[in-house]
Amino acid sequence: MHISPTMKMSDLVQSNFELLAVLQRLKIPFGFKDKSVQTVCREEGIDLDFFLNLSRWYDERDFFPGETLMNHPVKWLVKYLRSTHSCYIEYHIPRIENEIVRMESMDQSGGKNMQLMLKFFREYITEFTTHIELEEEKIFPYILDLEENLNKEHPDPDFLKKARGYTIKDFLDEHSDIEEKLVDLRNILLKYLAPPSDNCVFTNILIEIFRLGNDLNDHTILEENVLIPQVVKLEEQFHKKFPQG
Amino acid sequence: MAKVLIAETSYLVRKGLVGLLEQTDGITELKAAGHPDTIMLTLKEFSPDILLLNSAITLPVSHEKLVSKLPDRARIIYIINTPLPEDSPSHQISVFDSKSKLSEKISFHLQKYRDETPEKEDTEELTPREKLILKHVALGLTNKEIAAKLFISTHTVISHRKNITRKLDIKTVSGLTVYAILNGIIRMEDIG
Repeated sequence: MHISPTMKMSDLVQSNFELLAVLQRLKIPFGFKDKSVQTVCREEGIDLDFFLNLSRWYDERDFFPGETLMNHPVKWLVKYLRSTHSCYIEYHIPRIENEIVRMESMDQSGGKNMQLMLKFFREYITEFTTHIELEEEKIFPYILDLEENLNKEHPDPDFLKKARGYTIKDFLDEHSDIEEKLVDLRNILLKYLAPPSDNCVFTNILIEIFRLGNDLNDHTILEENVLIPQVVKLEEQFHKKFPQG
Repeated sequence: MAKVLIAETSYLVRKGLVGLLEQTDGITELKAAGHPDTIMLTLKEFSPDILLLNSAITLPVSHEKLVSKLPDRARIIYIINTPLPEDSPSHQISVFDSKSKLSEKISFHLQKYRDETPEKEDTEELTPREKLILKHVALGLTNKEIAAKLFISTHTVISHRKNITRKLDIKTVSGLTVYAILNGIIRMEDIG
């Protein structure tokens, strides 16, 4: 599909409902009536190109618009990633957890397999939450401060002190792989668990895990290929504008 | 059965190759990427057995580094943007090649890849030795501790672990622990 600024927003969603994720994360409310993509974006204060680039990537999956996305203010991407985080924490993860709990309560086999899966998944939740907290509490604020201070005449002294001793590259080193465990869980459920009593619930758990896995993959791509390279550039500009000593 | 990655900047050529390979036998998974960053990322996550790489693409790594990122028996076929002579080597295809020429060369490599892959790899059963290693991994021992316990080198432990992970499709220690419990290799009470 060719996504154009003049097409109706409702047509866009109807032709590929996966794009609902983009709308949700940009906090675009429903009730589009017959408004076009550009009108909706303007009304919601969302940059049209930013929206088009993201939507085209989600839709076509062919060419990653890394360079193009990097030309937008970094705070937009941070906002987008933050919405994605709350989507995981408030919705996806608890949902999968509840389904596993349900599965466990239905398990008549007397075995402890589902209990084991639940334990494994709860370990994952802890890891996942730590990962997200690090980004929310440490990384994102740093990035936003960096962009803000770069545009100032004189940077905030506290931030300047912080910026001297830190680079986003350190973060990349500790950016742990949060997908690995999820892939393991998926493979265990798919390949090694004895057939469960209720296929509908079980299948649904798998579908949800596949979905979350794909979504996390996109999330990592955005972080590692757009956000971090963009911040590296901002850091360079910052140190050039405010040289040490 | 091979996993294939097409690394090609040209949209038309990429789509064309995807179309051709979708009709080719012996391919389990097919991915395509155009941007060097996307290519590197896909290489890491997908680890293709056959890489179709346009020779005009500059990747951020050297040829040796690229080869080291691929599985052991992986093959690279180069896509060349100019016409090739009649007797061109099999690991080069040209964007000017006919369908039959392209199919012939790609099938040749798929066949070679199949021939070189030992058949025993199809059985994903763990050997008794691997089960023993898995047991210790699941109980939380480090590679070094396992090596000392079984009087083997750490290197051997690592190589067993690689095989276990490949056979089971499970990477993390906690995933392996779950597998070990499910299969009665250890008991749930054995872990803390």
